[in-house]
Amino acid sequence: MNPKRCAACKYLRRRCPKDCIFSPYFPPSDPDKFACIHRIYGAGNVSKMLQQLPVQTRAEAVESLSFEAKCRVDDPVYGCVGIISLLQTQIQNTQALLAKTQAEIAVAQNKQNQ
Amino acid sequence: MMSYLRNPNSPIFSILLSSSTTPNIKSILFSQQNQKLVKRRDVMSGGGNTVTAMGGGGCGGGSGGGGPCGACKFLRRKCVPGCIFAPYFDSEQGSAYFAAVHKVFGASNVSKLLLHIPVHRRSDAVVTICYEAQARIRDPIYGCVAHIFALQQQVVNLQAEVSYIQAHLASLELPQPQTRPPPPPPQHHQSQPLFFSTPPPLSITDLPPSVSPLPSTYDLASAFNQAASPSSWATQQRRFGDPRHQYGGSLSTSSATVGLGGGNSDLEALAHELLHRQGSPPPAATDDSPSRSMSR
Repeated sequence: MNPKRCAACKYLRRRCPKDCIFSPYFPPSDPDKFACIHRIYGAGNVSKMLQQLPVQTRAEAVESLSFEAKCRVDDPVYGCVGIISLLQTQIQNTQALLAKTQAEIAVAQNKQNQ
Repeated sequence: MMSYLRNPNSPIFSILLSSSTTPNIKSILFSQQNQKLVKRRDVMSGGGNTVTAMGGGGCGGGSGGGGPCGACKFLRRKCVPGCIFAPYFDSEQGSAYFAAVHKVFGASNVSKLLLHIPVHRRSDAVVTICYEAQARIRDPIYGCVAHIFALQQQVVNLQAEVSYIQAHLASLELPQPQTRPPPPPPQHHQSQPLFFSTPPPLSITDLPPSVSPLPSTYDLASAFNQAASPSSWATQQRRFGDPRHQYGGSLSTSSATVGLGGGNSDLEALAHELLHRQGSPPPAATDDSPSRSMSR
């Protein structure tokens, strides 16, 4: 077997062609990345998605797919949406703190003016 | 599912309402088969929030007389009793949503995912899967991660603003004869005071290599009733970090919608109607969409 197979072809137990669509993004040093993506999306779907993208955007697409897949593996029910909800809650809390601090400033300025 | 959805504190509602999600996702939430499932459950058990098992009665399957479910319709296959997709993809509009899910995830992958999830949590899982699929179709490069980036940046900006204002407050409270407020931070040219200076560009490589799982007993619905404990942000400006570790498992109630300006009018109108039915004052409406009937 070719020792220079990418992680995807290694996982799929197939020969890694020179124009393998996965090889630039799934180095053999990180087998878990493709395993996660394959488990959630499937190799065929990922291949189709990448083929429809310009080459210069594929790296970012793979990273975002990898992130979403990891989130889904860690939290099968909510996936990324769990993180979105946490961030929204954080935003609400920070906005409340901001409003409270602004009110305190108004009070302090009133006291100074008196 | 209906009693779950009537809960205005439903985390899925608040998340999807405040995100620029696909319109008409409520048709998934209010699919006819879901209504049938709930009616049958309510009759059998007298209420409750748990979803009964799909098998054994064909309560959500194609043999219920309503034809194939949206998923089987799309896949052009026979909808068997106990079809795993049937409770979540109705025969009318479910096909459209399942098309997106199938294109991104694949039917077999989604089926395997759902099989590993307890029945009472599958509805949430389906909604989030549909959301991610639609987000990925709309943005093939970043999907819903773009939304996460935007929210993260919003948090960073707000935290910077809070820090500035707290410094201003501290300067006002100091007993000095001449107190001058610190120079304001660079403002946006649209003169929104103290808001949103140009954010530094984020890159997908800023995302953490791994995200730790939530606790197995994590329950957003109850967690939403707890106050959140904000963590330090000053050192997290450009790194996403591990959000689940940062925020912990406690969340505050989320009745207000926090949007990025791209809220969904259908979902917002639905939320307003639900809140009105619950007797609580609806949040400020952002549009004049008429209230929609909950039944289909």
